[in-house]
Amino acid sequence: MYGWIWRHLPGNAWVRALISLALVVAVVYVLFNYVFPWAEPLLPFNDVTVDNQ
Amino acid sequence: MRVVVRTVSELCITVGTVIVLFVVYVLFWTGVKADHVMDDQIDRLQEQWAQGAVRPTAAAPGGESGGEAGAPESAPSPGPYSTDKPFAIMYIPRLGFTWNKPVLEGTATKTLKKGLGHYANTAQLGQKGNFSVAGHRRTYGDPFKDFPRLRPGDAVVLTDGTTWFTYRIDKGPYKTLPTDIEVIDAVPRKSGYTREGRYLTLTTCDPEWGHSHRLIVWAHLDSTQPVEAGKPEALRR
Repeated sequence: MYGWIWRHLPGNAWVRALISLALVVAVVYVLFNYVFPWAEPLLPFNDVTVDNQ
Repeated sequence: MRVVVRTVSELCITVGTVIVLFVVYVLFWTGVKADHVMDDQIDRLQEQWAQGAVRPTAAAPGGESGGEAGAPESAPSPGPYSTDKPFAIMYIPRLGFTWNKPVLEGTATKTLKKGLGHYANTAQLGQKGNFSVAGHRRTYGDPFKDFPRLRPGDAVVLTDGTTWFTYRIDKGPYKTLPTDIEVIDAVPRKSGYTREGRYLTLTTCDPEWGHSHRLIVWAHLDSTQPVEAGKPEALRR
């Protein structure tokens, strides 16, 4: 999978490394800003009330 | 065959990494975010109070030009709090001398990310009835992490910008079930109070990382003083 991505990136090794880094940062950003905030309320830490709101 | 094995192992490593990142997010990043947001809410409140827009009552026409602060109307009933907006700051010396959190209206999940949440259908601050507040035990800044250390006699101090309200804890921490909604009744049965009064209830989850139970403390309004009179006894050191 990662090998396939690596082979399909343009440029020489340095450019590919840079693009990979950018991709990793983008994925982490999306996870922290969209995926995790969505998933976190599914965990029990938000249940602090007694009327289940 | 080799490609399949490699892809599967790569996927496993990826999932593992995402899980680790998620743990970092829950344990650490929500706290960073919440601290920032709560400071922001407190700043906004203090700014509001500094501008004199203390009671956003429907009838208040902005700055009263009279400016005679010496004549407080007798126990003015505050207007309804607006949902998801901060209206008070809570101080609990037992949880730390610098412990202070904004109190927002409502107990929706998104509200509790920004501070403590006031149960919308309970009494208002300092009024007759049961002023009830919920807060996170863990994650989002861990506001009620040390909840079990609260003891009868401890002070819970709140301010709405004009008045300091000092509540004293009478009972708790009391462990109950999440469905036990009568703990936030005007006169909670298990609290030992027998007649109507100005009470305060705090709720959070128990165990620390779970949701099977709730921890409750009850307090009564011990004293009030205008902000001009300075900080109440309980906050002085």
